[in-house]
Amino acid sequence: MFDIILRNLTQRKIRTGLTVSGIGLGIFAVIVMGGMSENFNQTFEKSFSLTAEKIRVFSSVGVFGGGLTNSKAAEVRKVPGVEDAYGMLMAPLEEGGGMSFGGNQVTGIRPEKSQVALTPIQLKDGRFLLRGDRYVTVIGSSIATQYNIGVGDRLEIEDKNFIVVGVLEYTGSFFDANAAIPLDIAQDIYDMDDMVSLIFALPQEGVDGDLLAKRIKLSVDGVDTLSPSELKKEAEQNLRIFSVITVSAAVLAALIGGLSVMNTMLMSVMERTKEFGILKAIGAQQRDILLMTVGEASIMGLMGGLLGLVSGWAVIYGMNLWLADQGIVLFLITPRLVAVAMLFAILLGTASGIYPAIRATRMSPMEALRYE
Amino acid sequence: MNDMKDARDISDMNEDIILKTRDLKKTYMQGKIPVHALRGVDIDIKRSELVSIVGPSGSGKSTMLSIIGMLEKPTQGKVFIDNIEVTKAKNKDIPKLRREKIGFVFQHFNLLSALSALGNVEIAMRFARVPKQERITRAKEVLTEMGLGDRLKHKPSELSGGEQQRVSIARALANKPAIILADEPTGEVDTKTRELITNILQRLSGNGQTVIIVTHDPWVAERTNRIIKLVDGKLDDLLK
Repeated sequence: MFDIILRNLTQRKIRTGLTVSGIGLGIFAVIVMGGMSENFNQTFEKSFSLTAEKIRVFSSVGVFGGGLTNSKAAEVRKVPGVEDAYGMLMAPLEEGGGMSFGGNQVTGIRPEKSQVALTPIQLKDGRFLLRGDRYVTVIGSSIATQYNIGVGDRLEIEDKNFIVVGVLEYTGSFFDANAAIPLDIAQDIYDMDDMVSLIFALPQEGVDGDLLAKRIKLSVDGVDTLSPSELKKEAEQNLRIFSVITVSAAVLAALIGGLSVMNTMLMSVMERTKEFGILKAIGAQQRDILLMTVGEASIMGLMGGLLGLVSGWAVIYGMNLWLADQGIVLFLITPRLVAVAMLFAILLGTASGIYPAIRATRMSPMEALRYE
Repeated sequence: MNDMKDARDISDMNEDIILKTRDLKKTYMQGKIPVHALRGVDIDIKRSELVSIVGPSGSGKSTMLSIIGMLEKPTQGKVFIDNIEVTKAKNKDIPKLRREKIGFVFQHFNLLSALSALGNVEIAMRFARVPKQERITRAKEVLTEMGLGDRLKHKPSELSGGEQQRVSIARALANKPAIILADEPTGEVDTKTRELITNILQRLSGNGQTVIIVTHDPWVAERTNRIIKLVDGKLDDLLK
């Protein structure tokens, strides 16, 4: 039966090609949009897992609202149940760069806290910041790749040269695009006095993070907190909205591809009315006709899926390569995405072929034979 | 198959009769007007008979053939083929019955244009789930029997009308059916080919194959064992 299906498809090459292209375009959208969503999800998951235990403490007027000083870290540290607390000042690395997703950033941190702050990330080369360090930096793997620098090289931040003393292992998280420098230097070059963006608080062993977050909020004036579970919930909600928007757009594109398969199959069934009549007259059963018609649609779905996958992969590869120069990884193709896209393509093709197939099976052989 | 066994009417069947119709009626609706294509036809055809059904246009010949071939159902009446009342068979059993009992030969050949001569014959056995090798062997065998041993790989467009009709006959024979139903098999060919096709059908009958031909052509009808004439949907006369 497979050879008959292939023969029918190759007999109408242009039409098959156009239909496959239609569904391929849809799957291309699924791959590209899904790839973006997958990358966001994975980056968040890895970033979250690296700071999962820590409580975020920020100004009660918001993270970027200002008013949070490093002296607050000492107050947070005094709250019962807090093992340690340290402030961080975050700013964009490149001039004009925002704190948006994917951009490089500078994190000012007290040198003696850098290891705690960056743990469990391992060093690929060099060391963490040490007490007394001044114009030195520990950089993430993306920055090292983007600027093609390593330990001993210089990195310019706000017109100042910083010597790279450490390079972190690749993590697939926000830390890859981060350059850690001493907090006092960061405050100086960004003219931020004693300000910090947020304070990380580490709970003592056995202390519940959610309860401790509430305790910090009540004990320290002018701060708000985000416990690990609250952060995860909030971020997941945002990611879900993002995923729904991106995937919906892609699914819509793919459904249009599916409609083109249905249109092609309906036309094909109509054109082959007489052929179906002949096949029935020589003993074809309804399931033979059904299998033949649905098989054609499924194969077009599979071919469209492969086309979309290959073209999507090529575009993603090119885009990631291009964006790598700017230290940004925007897309990620995961096995899960490939499986979902291919399954979707085949199911779409099959579903689109069912109605035309039913029409073909229901034809009266006598009427089909008389059809001209 | 139990349904088919149930459908048997052994008491009324002569073992030598391969086809029997009783009170066969078919009425079509043309809008709101009923058109009586068959008005109660009783015929008996014996094994290996070569029978022609003749009659003017609209006499019900083709309707008769399509009902015997299970392509459509009668409004009333019974058809028995090989002791099985096929008019009683369930829809799901009809393709199998059609495959086993009937081989069609059409006026316009009705070959599949994308397939070779071999492919057109082989495909009929494919639906009977005959193993591939066996299908190929059998298809070559019947095509060679039709004198087309050297035209196996030719597509219909590369064959003459006579050759196409011989492929069509080979396809009809592929599943070794009980009856060959030929609808105007010489309607589209020249006189020389007409003779060739008629000779083939005569030879098949001589070899034990039952053949029923619907024809307008007296020359063809005269070469059959028996002529059944239909007029206005009724059996007119047994001419021979």
